[in-house]
Amino acid sequence: MGFFSSLSSLFGLGKKDVNIVVVGLDNSGKTTILNQLKTPETRSQQIVPTVGHVVTNFSTQNLSFHAFDMAGQMKYRSTWESYFHSSQGVIFVLDSSDRLRMELLKDELMMVMEHKDVVSRGIPIVILANKMDIPGAMTASDITVALGLNLYRSGTWSIHSTCALTGDGLDKAMQQLSAEITKYMESRRT
Amino acid sequence: MKTNKKDEETGGNVYAHLDKTSVLQEARAFNETPINARKCCFILSKLIYIIQQGESIGRTEATEAFFGVTKLWQSKDVSLRRMVYLAVKELAEVSDDVIIVTSSLTKDMTGREDLYRAAAIRALCKITDTGMLQTIERYMKQAIVDRNSAISSSAIVSSIHLMRKSSEVVRRWANEVQEAVSSDNHMVQYHALALLYQIRANDRLAVNKLVQKFSKNALRSPYAVCYLIRIATRCLVDDDQPDSSVFTFIESCLRHKSEMVVYEAARAIVSLPQTTPSEIQPAITALQMCCTSPKAAVRFAAVRTLNKVAMAHPNAVMSCNVDLEKFITDPNRSIATLAITTLLKTGAESSVERLMQQIAGFVNEISDEFKIVVVDAIRSLCSRYPRKHTVMMPFLAKMLRSDGSYDYKKAIVETIIAIIEENPDAKVAGLAHLCEFIEDCEHDNLSTRVLHLLGREAPKTPNPSSYIRFIYNRVILESTKVRAAAVTALAKFGAQCVDLRPSIQVLLKRCLLDSDDEVRDRATFYLKMLTEAAEGLIHNFILDGLQVSPSGLERSILDYLRSGSYSSPFDLRVVPVTQQALSQPEKRVPQLVEEEEKPKAPKVEPYAAQLAAIPQFAALGPVFKSSTRIALTESIAEYTVHMIKHTFANAMVLQFECKNTMNDQLLLDVSVELEDPDGEWETGNTVQIDKLPYGEVHSAFSLLEFPDSGAISGSLGAILKFKVMDVDPTSGEPDSDDTYEQTYVLEEVDVNVSDSVQGVAKSSFGSAWEALGDDATREETFQLSTVENIPDAVKKISEILGLVPCERSDRVPEGKTQHTVFLSGVFRGGYDVLSKATVAVDPNDNSIAMNIIIKSNEPLVADLVISAVV
Repeated sequence: MGFFSSLSSLFGLGKKDVNIVVVGLDNSGKTTILNQLKTPETRSQQIVPTVGHVVTNFSTQNLSFHAFDMAGQMKYRSTWESYFHSSQGVIFVLDSSDRLRMELLKDELMMVMEHKDVVSRGIPIVILANKMDIPGAMTASDITVALGLNLYRSGTWSIHSTCALTGDGLDKAMQQLSAEITKYMESRRT
Repeated sequence: MKTNKKDEETGGNVYAHLDKTSVLQEARAFNETPINARKCCFILSKLIYIIQQGESIGRTEATEAFFGVTKLWQSKDVSLRRMVYLAVKELAEVSDDVIIVTSSLTKDMTGREDLYRAAAIRALCKITDTGMLQTIERYMKQAIVDRNSAISSSAIVSSIHLMRKSSEVVRRWANEVQEAVSSDNHMVQYHALALLYQIRANDRLAVNKLVQKFSKNALRSPYAVCYLIRIATRCLVDDDQPDSSVFTFIESCLRHKSEMVVYEAARAIVSLPQTTPSEIQPAITALQMCCTSPKAAVRFAAVRTLNKVAMAHPNAVMSCNVDLEKFITDPNRSIATLAITTLLKTGAESSVERLMQQIAGFVNEISDEFKIVVVDAIRSLCSRYPRKHTVMMPFLAKMLRSDGSYDYKKAIVETIIAIIEENPDAKVAGLAHLCEFIEDCEHDNLSTRVLHLLGREAPKTPNPSSYIRFIYNRVILESTKVRAAAVTALAKFGAQCVDLRPSIQVLLKRCLLDSDDEVRDRATFYLKMLTEAAEGLIHNFILDGLQVSPSGLERSILDYLRSGSYSSPFDLRVVPVTQQALSQPEKRVPQLVEEEEKPKAPKVEPYAAQLAAIPQFAALGPVFKSSTRIALTESIAEYTVHMIKHTFANAMVLQFECKNTMNDQLLLDVSVELEDPDGEWETGNTVQIDKLPYGEVHSAFSLLEFPDSGAISGSLGAILKFKVMDVDPTSGEPDSDDTYEQTYVLEEVDVNVSDSVQGVAKSSFGSAWEALGDDATREETFQLSTVENIPDAVKKISEILGLVPCERSDRVPEGKTQHTVFLSGVFRGGYDVLSKATVAVDPNDNSIAMNIIIKSNEPLVADLVISAVV
């Protein structure tokens, strides 16, 4: 690794380190998604509710991610905003079968999307409509309407249906995120 | 040379001149991507350094820094991660939301990287609270029995810390801890044993079992054995009927192969309160062996222990004298000092001079701490061989002249004062040395103490006028505090020596021109008193001082000012009195003499504040006196009750401190019912305890009015009444809402005369006795059958009456067949009570007779008090 990786990073070809924040209501599947993104041998068998946050590292083809997996419970939501400032992307995970909390979800999502550290820096947001495998789950387009996202033009956001247990839809979402982040970082450089 | 070295040191410390703001500013680097591990490590060290130096960091700043630190988890650098753990531990106290790193730490603690695991456990336990602890409980249990000793140890030590805030949860880990005790690793075994003991500490039976069990199957770790010895010693001291096998275990440890264990066992045996010479002997022999060790630390420990027990077991220690003699010239001065002071305690009177000469040779080389040890040894020596004061006094004076810290000088001055008080022969020489000392003393506190002593003692010497020069010099030369004390001392001369009074008045007149208010005020007051007041007033106000408790005085004056009715003058008699005059310093017990364990008389103040908070008792006025805590139950009873009697001007409040030791019961509506078989006493208001959960101590109160018949003593039956609700022992949640009534008979409550009397010493008893007149004098003579000698009789009578002896009249010279003790005190309501009790032994049949005269300024009071003795 050593020599070649340093050589390739010299030419700007190596994997870049990026920080992302993973947020969302409790029990939406944040930790499970990140677990799914790790290489099979490093995955943990058991997922317990996160307290505070955990840093998870994984990589895609061209980026090496440090993901801050934030706790979703009410009392920890205030800690999310401390991490937007130092990150280059946000993943917002939601439970698409949870129709009851749609209004709360909308509030929390708006809080994230309109946070000054997000808006002013224009960092990309990827919304993952998780648990699509559950019967009766809302589709991505339904959720877009329910959350009023179609009225939301400013900022760079995209929505994807996923299933954290099987990994369906995750690859596509991560490709999108990588592309957005690369674009974002290039725009910052210039 | 020395300064050079110092310069290098300060130059070498990069952290020396850190500024809090700039460090916190630098801490922003934590937010950068990618993380520069080396730089962050350095910043973290700075951050931890300033916290360790005691710099206070505000909550917002700390929280900001903390969130920065949490971002460092993305780095995989091992040393940085370990610094992060340290920082988290330091910031845990000052920052908000530390709980958010719980999951990160849990991940590290269960991860594969052993380097992280131990440190993560320590940090995790520091930030967690009782609620959170349950979620990590599973991991903790695993960590305690982990194969890696560092991890196991850190989990156990963290659990010991957790015991303080969430003992209930830690108790559930007992099985794992037990397993860890059988670990092969010395440290793990030691820590596990400590935790196991703490888990069971409240249950004496379980502790006993623990000692029994582990004393049989030998522990590998010497640390653990030492700890077990300490637990065993505690068992022996606490138990009324100690198990002989426990002692056998400690004794067997004397033959352990580890030096540490041998020393610990020996120390434990010699420190036990009741041991026979044959039991002590092996331990002393073991210490003697330690004395010959090549290791200085072991020798030091052995000599120090011998020194400590020298007073308790002089004969046993004497057998080591030969070894101790060798140490006199030991190059380690600390060992030499301890050896000499031990010899001073055990040695014969004849060897004292030789030893003093030895010690004088190097006294300047040892540290102040050990000089204090020497001084204390001299003090106990002087009380043993009073005639030796001629050797000791010049020695002490020489030490007093040399340089030394405040504590050291204080110890010397206290020793000289003690010698003067105990030995009248040494008085003149001692006072002369002290006078010389205050001529050149830089410690105001000591000067004022010496001046106070001079004012009290010097007028009684054959030539009082010679001291006045020293005192007046203080008025001219010293700081305000000392000047004021000197003025008071002068006034005391004037009050006691009538022939010196005119010259004192002249000196006091000069003091009127002093630059400070306090000094002028005192001078004016004393001058007025000395020129115009009667002899009795002079005695009361110059010699006796104000004997009230400062906080009581403050409260009474505040009440008076609040009441707003200034038609009646403020009555000083309602102020609670204390035994010690305002100006009297507390006596320090010399450290090397065996300390006596005596039940401490509670201070009035904490209780007074408690009582004042209860509206039912607010009208009673200030507390006159609070008794000691009296147990009304056996200490191992299901419910323990301690009683404290608070006396007010016209009533008594009994405070019952109840403790519930049943973990499956919740007590409701707890109260104590009192019943007087004679029907004289009646209970007034009571305050009950609404809820008394397991393990907590709460107080119930009952008001007793003093009966109209004038009785001030009696005994009342007491019954604890309460409702029981069964609860689940582990959670404390009630099983059901059902309750049932229950009663529990307590021991009888005795009310005595001494509850109504507060002992207050008069500094000149004779004049106070004269001043009271003969209107209310009662006399009584009777035989004492329960006591066998005069000192016991004197002690008993002062206990019964609640009066305190004056003018050291409680000290009975040996071999006398007759002795008179002067007692004085204040009856509730502020009436003076004085008493002269003459005790005599009948030489024929050794029976003891006592004649007691009681005087008061109120005849009724004299009647009441005399009734207590009859």
